[in-house]
Amino acid sequence: MKRAGLLAACLTLSVPALAHDGVDHANKAEAQAHENATALPPPSGLPFNLDLGGAFELTDQTGASRSEADPEGRFQLLFFGYANCEAICSVALPLMADVADGTKANGVDITPVMVTIDPERDTLDILGPALQQHHEDFTGLTGTPEELQEVYDLFQIEKSVVFEDPSGAPVYAHGSFIYLLDAKGQFLTVLPPILSVDRMVEIVASYAAS
Amino acid sequence: MRSLPLMAIAALLAFSPTAQAAEEGKRITVKGEAIDTWCYFSGVMGGPDAVVGSAHHTCALWCSAGGIPVGLLAEDGQVYMVLKIENDDQSNGGDTQMSIASHVITADGMHYQRDGINYIVVSEVVADDDIQVLNHEDYGPVPSMAIREPKK
Repeated sequence: MKRAGLLAACLTLSVPALAHDGVDHANKAEAQAHENATALPPPSGLPFNLDLGGAFELTDQTGASRSEADPEGRFQLLFFGYANCEAICSVALPLMADVADGTKANGVDITPVMVTIDPERDTLDILGPALQQHHEDFTGLTGTPEELQEVYDLFQIEKSVVFEDPSGAPVYAHGSFIYLLDAKGQFLTVLPPILSVDRMVEIVASYAAS
Repeated sequence: MRSLPLMAIAALLAFSPTAQAAEEGKRITVKGEAIDTWCYFSGVMGGPDAVVGSAHHTCALWCSAGGIPVGLLAEDGQVYMVLKIENDDQSNGGDTQMSIASHVITADGMHYQRDGINYIVVSEVVADDDIQVLNHEDYGPVPSMAIREPKK
């Protein structure tokens, strides 16, 4: 539990920092060093032709069949996680909800979608309420182990049990990037979960405009 | 001097439409420290010198296990988000990612840029020089709760 507590503290303490000013630097040299350390060269248009995504067929939280295409014709933010996750999912799911609100304010509707990596515990009656506490438009997807594995393979997702919590429930390590898909389910780009809401909204807007 | 972390993140993630161009990846060999990107960019645990090396090793392990993507802080200061590493199709929490946390490694792989962000798919860790930044004596464990004092 001590270890889990450290992880939770690390993640939860960090959330507000991404939305606020961050740390004070002791002096100008330290501040400049940080700026230099974290600055990137101008983007050069280097490639990103990762072969991700594709056609799939899963089941949403209502029990309806759901493909990679969004039924409402919206862009999609896709994440792989599980309802009981207290680690990265507790950061990524609210982040996706905030991005959905942010893009909507810019006139771009987007559906946040989570594919479960823990179908045994993420049953239909668990999945819907757990996700919709983050956002009313959240879609949860599950399926048979075979169906889910096909989708994991499409996005090169791996999962492994790190340890079991005191109740015996598994705690997973799993892929944590968020994928931007268009309305048809075509992969557009990947979004690291360390990005700010504003930055994600900006990226989504750039794809919506193109 | 507030706001630098956010400025840094903004710089890291600066948007350029040209970054969306789809081309072939570029093979690179890069040497740098495997960092915890969350704590490094958020600044919540301290400045950049405090959230690397031996001081931040324990937290880096647990952030990786908890899903935070590992980054490679290169010698020139660039940060590469690790998409995959060797035979492990994930960016965090795998055996390799855990074994190299806070270590200075030399990685051979494919470099991509997208939306102004550097990514690397590491095909091989060609050298592992262990932890090189021994800053625990300066900062202690960061955060301090990462390692508790033994009960007397």
